[in-house]
Amino acid sequence: MTTDTPMAPLGAAAGWMDDRVGLAHWTKKSLNKIFPDHWSFMIGEVALYSFIVVIITGIYLTFFFNPSLHHSIYHGPYKPLDGQSVSDAYASVVNISLYVRGGLVMRQMHHWSADIFIGAIVVHMCRIYFTGAFRRPRELNWVIGVLLLFLALINGYIGYSLPDDLISGTGVRIMFSVFLAIPVVGSYLAFFFFGGNFPGTTYDYRFYIIHVFLLPAIIVGLLVAHLALLWHQKHTQFPGRGATERNVVGTPVWPGFAFKTTGLLLMIFGITALLGGLAQINPIWLYGPYIPYKVTYLVQPDWYMAWLDGALRLMPRWEVNMPGHMIPTVFFPAVLMPGVAVPFLMSWPWLEAKFTKDNRRSHHLLDRPRDAPVRTAIGVGVLTFFSVLFLASATDELANFFVISLNVVLPVLRYTLVILPFITSFVAFRICKELAQVPKAGKRKRASIIERTPSGGYALRDSEVRPGDEPDEEEPVPVPAVSLNAMADGRPSGASLPAT
Amino acid sequence: MGDDPASATHPASPTELLSPDDPRLAPATHHPRRVAGIVAVFFVLSFAATVALATVYSLGGQTQIEGGLLGVALGALGAGMTTWGKYLVPKGPFVEPRDYEDRHDLPSKPEDREAVVGAFGRGASIFARRKLLGLLSLSGAAVGAVFVFPLRSLGPQPKGAMFHTAWKPGTRLVTAGGRPIQVQDIDIGGIVTVFPEGGENDPDIQQTAQTQLIRVAADPLATRQGPTSWSPSGYLAFSKVCTHAGCPVSLYEAETEQLLCPCHQSLFDVLQGAYPIFGPAPRPLPQLPIYADADGYLRARSDFLEPIGPGFWERGASDGSPYS
Amino acid sequence: MTRLRLLPPLALLAFSASVGLTFFASSSQAQASATARSTLTPVTSATAPTTSTPAPTTSTTPSTLSLAPYSLEDGQALFAASCASCHGADATGSSRAPNLVGLGPATIDFWVSSGRMPLSKPSVEPEPKPSPFSPPEQLDIVKYVSSLGPGGPGIPDVNVAKGNLGDGFSLFVTNCAGCHAVGGVGDALSNGLSAPSLFFATPTQVAEAIETGPASMPRFSSFQFSPAQLNDIVAYVVKGIQHPRDKGGDGLGHIGPITEGLVALFLGLGSMLGILYWIGDRA
Repeated sequence: MTTDTPMAPLGAAAGWMDDRVGLAHWTKKSLNKIFPDHWSFMIGEVALYSFIVVIITGIYLTFFFNPSLHHSIYHGPYKPLDGQSVSDAYASVVNISLYVRGGLVMRQMHHWSADIFIGAIVVHMCRIYFTGAFRRPRELNWVIGVLLLFLALINGYIGYSLPDDLISGTGVRIMFSVFLAIPVVGSYLAFFFFGGNFPGTTYDYRFYIIHVFLLPAIIVGLLVAHLALLWHQKHTQFPGRGATERNVVGTPVWPGFAFKTTGLLLMIFGITALLGGLAQINPIWLYGPYIPYKVTYLVQPDWYMAWLDGALRLMPRWEVNMPGHMIPTVFFPAVLMPGVAVPFLMSWPWLEAKFTKDNRRSHHLLDRPRDAPVRTAIGVGVLTFFSVLFLASATDELANFFVISLNVVLPVLRYTLVILPFITSFVAFRICKELAQVPKAGKRKRASIIERTPSGGYALRDSEVRPGDEPDEEEPVPVPAVSLNAMADGRPSGASLPAT
Repeated sequence: MGDDPASATHPASPTELLSPDDPRLAPATHHPRRVAGIVAVFFVLSFAATVALATVYSLGGQTQIEGGLLGVALGALGAGMTTWGKYLVPKGPFVEPRDYEDRHDLPSKPEDREAVVGAFGRGASIFARRKLLGLLSLSGAAVGAVFVFPLRSLGPQPKGAMFHTAWKPGTRLVTAGGRPIQVQDIDIGGIVTVFPEGGENDPDIQQTAQTQLIRVAADPLATRQGPTSWSPSGYLAFSKVCTHAGCPVSLYEAETEQLLCPCHQSLFDVLQGAYPIFGPAPRPLPQLPIYADADGYLRARSDFLEPIGPGFWERGASDGSPYS
Repeated sequence: MTRLRLLPPLALLAFSASVGLTFFASSSQAQASATARSTLTPVTSATAPTTSTPAPTTSTTPSTLSLAPYSLEDGQALFAASCASCHGADATGSSRAPNLVGLGPATIDFWVSSGRMPLSKPSVEPEPKPSPFSPPEQLDIVKYVSSLGPGGPGIPDVNVAKGNLGDGFSLFVTNCAGCHAVGGVGDALSNGLSAPSLFFATPTQVAEAIETGPASMPRFSSFQFSPAQLNDIVAYVVKGIQHPRDKGGDGLGHIGPITEGLVALFLGLGSMLGILYWIGDRA
């Protein structure tokens, strides 16, 4: 660094730092690191940035929340609760919502971003799955990702339970029943986890520390591992535009990617703030406190737990009775199904490699979904299965909305759950096969122009390429280094390619 | 600085110098000045929203305005930065070799793997002491198990807690407000949640002993669960805890005399003895045997004759259950 | 360009002023939240009344609306024209419609004033709709039908202003939210039945429904709700449900997590994915 540029102070600071830790090589490599430009590669960033919003807003909420289930008679400023027995937890959330300035925006942002966080994980996972990005050498990161999804689900459920309001309290009661349904040790686990029979006065303290410390710590740890692995292994990429198994084509971290991704973080924060201010979520002051014998209709979990709620509704009333013991019906949808689904998801990279006999050492170039019709078909089938379960958690609302009898909706959804995945799966398979026949499918058509030739004949030619129609056909080059001096002098920037 | 001879084989040779007017160094837009203007507008908008937000907050705050302004402040700043990064910097495409330190593939070089094995081999004597290793594993596992002990302190054993409730022979049925109920108090087609007298304010008793008291027209009435003597003057009492997942079964359709659970829509036929006729609930809601005393007060004959609520492993076990 | 040079210092000034204002003005906020907490009176849970619902010590007969000003003759004429074809000229019912004698003014008024009766077609399920009769005409009919035989509750005279919201909220959740949902939106019951939304019910209709248990709804006796408690519930329906305190923004239909999830996924995540589509390459 020379000292006669406007960037001199920065250079001096960097020099001071490098004298002590010597990270110039690492920093240079990081600034030059290439991120592929395809939009779908940023879905994981949406999840990451939503998580950052969750953490920031969540920390603020902890300054006001009181996880005590001790009940008192409310005589606060909110009149509809006057004279009601409420827990400290519930009263503190009412206070955050109605009487802490800016508190409701923070609380609603926390809830919205949690919902979006998990949605983004699911979409991100679909992207990874349908493009085959989980294949060797990235199986580990797939497993970490599935774990992250699972932990985020649990932490969301526990967070939703904290305010001890009418709806979430009912959800906790169902959680207790799910613990009970575990064979052999169920009632012991339930009593140990809840500190006795439901409801007791213990569980909110435990939920709280699990929600704000234990699970976030594990999630952050896994997230660091997820990102470190991604950074180290480098991105996958779609074929085309000079992309090969041996390189990565795209935008370097500095400056393009850094600006774009920071802007994305801020925009995600901004959208969450808009939702947090304009769309009401979980208005617990309208729901009232949880009292064990009180309940409301339309009692639902947040969307990411709806598949389990739907499974509970669709499950036929099978109970396994043995002399002196039983396996309750709740076991099958709420313990067995996730107990099978999560390991199945985790082991998918190995299952697929086994069945396709794919033993290539590296898969840095991605498949398009149509290139792997069987994988795509299976993925669509599984997604359909979970979507039907998701719908099933609103059987009552569907019946009400479409004015059909509840007694019709339930059996219809039961059959749909079993049959529809096969149909969508087959349709997806056929579409993949058809698309594979048409190399240019999905690309915008170019107009044909008919011209009269000077000799009087007619000639056909394609119209000019419109911007954005065709990928840039330029040969990609290594990230250049540019002299800051040249920039300071206002000269056109000269660029030299790096030695590496 | 990590010179890699292999990158020389890359299409764009590192010795080549990019000319300043190389298209790959040009910004992605053809109108940089106009885009810079848009970016400036975004930044000014963001700043204005921030100032407005601070003002609104200081004046007492309003959720919708706060959220809206915060959204604009953050969103416009982000949109400006992204526009800048997308349109005003060299558009590329750029490429880097997929190299991992000194190699082109993730697996380490064979000699490095060898070296690791060699380094580990320094401790070969350790693996020779089989018995000592066995002892180490044993003690290690034992110490690990010690850390499981405190889990036992997290809660009491369930023991009989799942098998009985606070209902006792002769306990009066009272409302949530603590008022005992006489036979004339509830109309036919009426329903009220009742508790054992004295327990109506204890959340744990509320949870396990909550009972739906329903008055139907049929009298006398025997259900599949209980004889006519359990339903004085058409009063039927059923546990309010769903046998499916434990929600309070609180929807009563008086015309069809059916109870519906709000959580998963199990339907119970009251006149049959709350037998499940639709949905996922596997068992009827246990019926509480009740009678009317000389003054007309409704009282429990006993506790429920079977465990209330959702199923669990020990349910129906001959040991631990007072109802074996 | 020179004017732009003034922008940074001006902006800095505006920003510091607003930040200063923020911290100055927010000192009162801390006090407000502190008082909100201290108003909780701790009590031992064993003795705490879960709902402050005092035993009704006063008369259990609610005050009712007097039908004296209304016309028996007009009522008879309207009944003959619009109701008698199904319920019979003497209102004792037929194979198509139930007996109305002895049900009392509250029942008749509920069905007529909510527009559920008369049915537009005999086969359809009764649904609330604008009544073809003016309010005085409705009460004429009520007076006529009630005159045919004694019995049944009178039209309850409710006073929303006097209701206690705390008691009303608590009683509503205990007794009504199971079917109508805590937001009052209503939902499907079994066998094609449904609990209606409470958004458009009048205070009198709410009280009448509680007392008479129309259709599938259970009937609540005067033992269960004193006149004051009835009034509390009606007040909560009007103030808490028909005019909910949506401090957080749009209420999203007060349906709860279903609409919230859809908004989070389609509006929130959807717009974010749209932004990605703008930022990134699409090829």
